[in-house]
Amino acid sequence: MTDSPDLYAWKPLVEDLAERRQRSLAMGGPERVERQRAAGKWPVRERIDELFDPGTFTEFGQLADSMDPVLAAKGYMAADGCVTGVGEIDGRRVAVCAYDFTVMAGSMGAVNEHKTARMRELVLRQRIPIVWLLDSAGARIQATSGSTFAGAGALFREQVTLSGVVPQVAALMGHCAAGTAYIPALADFLPMVAPTSSMALAGRHLVKAATGEDVDEFEMGGAEVHTKVSGVADLAVADDAECLATIRRYLGFFPAHNQEAPPVAATDDPGDRRIEAVYDIVPTAPRRAYDVKKVIELVVDDGELLELKPDWARNIVTGLARVGGQPVGIVANQPKVLGGALDVNAADKAARFVWLCDAFGIPLVFLHDVPGFVVGTAVEKQGIIRHGAKMLFAISEATVPKVSVVLRKSYGAGYFVMNGTAYEADYIAVWPTAEIAVMGPEGMVNIIMRKELDAVPEGKERDAARIAMADELRKNIDPYIAAGHAQVDDVIDPADTRAAIWKGLQVTRTKQVPRPWRKHGVLPV
Amino acid sequence: MADAGTEVRTEITANVWQVRVEVGQAVAEGDELVILESMKMEIPVEAPCAGTVSEIRVQPEDQITEGDVVAVIT
Repeated sequence: MTDSPDLYAWKPLVEDLAERRQRSLAMGGPERVERQRAAGKWPVRERIDELFDPGTFTEFGQLADSMDPVLAAKGYMAADGCVTGVGEIDGRRVAVCAYDFTVMAGSMGAVNEHKTARMRELVLRQRIPIVWLLDSAGARIQATSGSTFAGAGALFREQVTLSGVVPQVAALMGHCAAGTAYIPALADFLPMVAPTSSMALAGRHLVKAATGEDVDEFEMGGAEVHTKVSGVADLAVADDAECLATIRRYLGFFPAHNQEAPPVAATDDPGDRRIEAVYDIVPTAPRRAYDVKKVIELVVDDGELLELKPDWARNIVTGLARVGGQPVGIVANQPKVLGGALDVNAADKAARFVWLCDAFGIPLVFLHDVPGFVVGTAVEKQGIIRHGAKMLFAISEATVPKVSVVLRKSYGAGYFVMNGTAYEADYIAVWPTAEIAVMGPEGMVNIIMRKELDAVPEGKERDAARIAMADELRKNIDPYIAAGHAQVDDVIDPADTRAAIWKGLQVTRTKQVPRPWRKHGVLPV
Repeated sequence: MADAGTEVRTEITANVWQVRVEVGQAVAEGDELVILESMKMEIPVEAPCAGTVSEIRVQPEDQITEGDVVAVIT
């Protein structure tokens, strides 16, 4: 008789499993992880630890490998270069797809694509938000250089399906090209780590080959470009820590999905708090500009505003905040930039923000001080009509509670797109300084009194006549006329602006707006 | 040069309308240094910090563009 075989030989099996796990947790190995750190970027697993509440992460596909015969010689590809799973942010589940630059430059291969597809399926079934941490060179060309490419691309279509169903965040945390540039473009919120990230449809080598242009990643698609010029990204952040904290903060305003109410927070800040400091911020002199962000900070809970796209289209301010604990989206004209006039980028920025809030049931608050849309050849060539129409479209479609406060002027289509009376505005409070009219008196003079004006000798005399006529017309622009016709709901003391918004939100919180059935509207974009 | 003080820049392209301070004047944070005119609006440029105005680099009717230094505070 030989020795009887060990019927319970678990130890080597468990040890083998533990060893495989360790190999995966080691990512691309100490040398590449060190290089990642030297570049100012955190290793992917530290990013995930920071993103989620401690001990809440359940990983999917930790033991994945590239499984590619061509790449087999290069050894084990930890998690196939993308860590996926579900964790919690403030006790609420969120899925993550986090590319690992230390493994094949975080490139998108067949196995990790299968893993991210699984996350997309999961978030759709579970109705929870998805976060992408992007640090990826894009498609793994070594593996997809042939025409099997024809089968690729489902991820973008699936992202579109998820849009407006669950919140989607895509953070740029490294240089991302092509595929990993479209992921953020189809997400709702795109922070960029300014010193280390970029996004572009093609990386620098491809651009050099295709066009001869010799640029680095930052010049082409860095935060300077995308948060100030193109408007593709929402926010530049200083480092990985700020990026991950910002994602947590952003998701704190959102429900897990579009059929849940946004999370109301406990607050010690009274809803009817008076904001007398506003008297020193907003001039009654109509031509004098001011910074509307100072007004917003007085209005919202604890002065906290998460501004989106702060450095792009600065003539309009968009951001998330709370009033009485209730998440709200703020849309405010910014008089200190372009006088608050709306141009193509401002309309674009506001329309997208309105769609974002409306998709997830976040009420909208509008602060008006707008001379209207910019006019002239330059903006017509940029398509101001379709961009203006886009903002009209978004505000018309939005069925969330919509509260407006008119601070000073609100002229023409500017009044409409800022949630004017006719746009199913639920509550409109105006200041004694409010000027609601088809256009400003100076503009009106040139149209309705042109003949009288032409009769006056040109020069100083005519200028004086123009001012006198404008002053005469201004008398008809009076908030008490609008209030007298009950076209606005109240005229308020500016110090009661927060209280008015808070009450407006209270009385409209069960809003329902049935619309005729349609597949979808035809969007002016 | 830049280490000699805080450069105050304009955030917008505009015409200079008024200069409200003089070199050597003490200013508090938020004081109006210069008032610009753009899009028929009067747009103040405020002191980002307290200090003394050590340089004023614009005068009325100058045309300035976004990012130009208006004044220096030390």
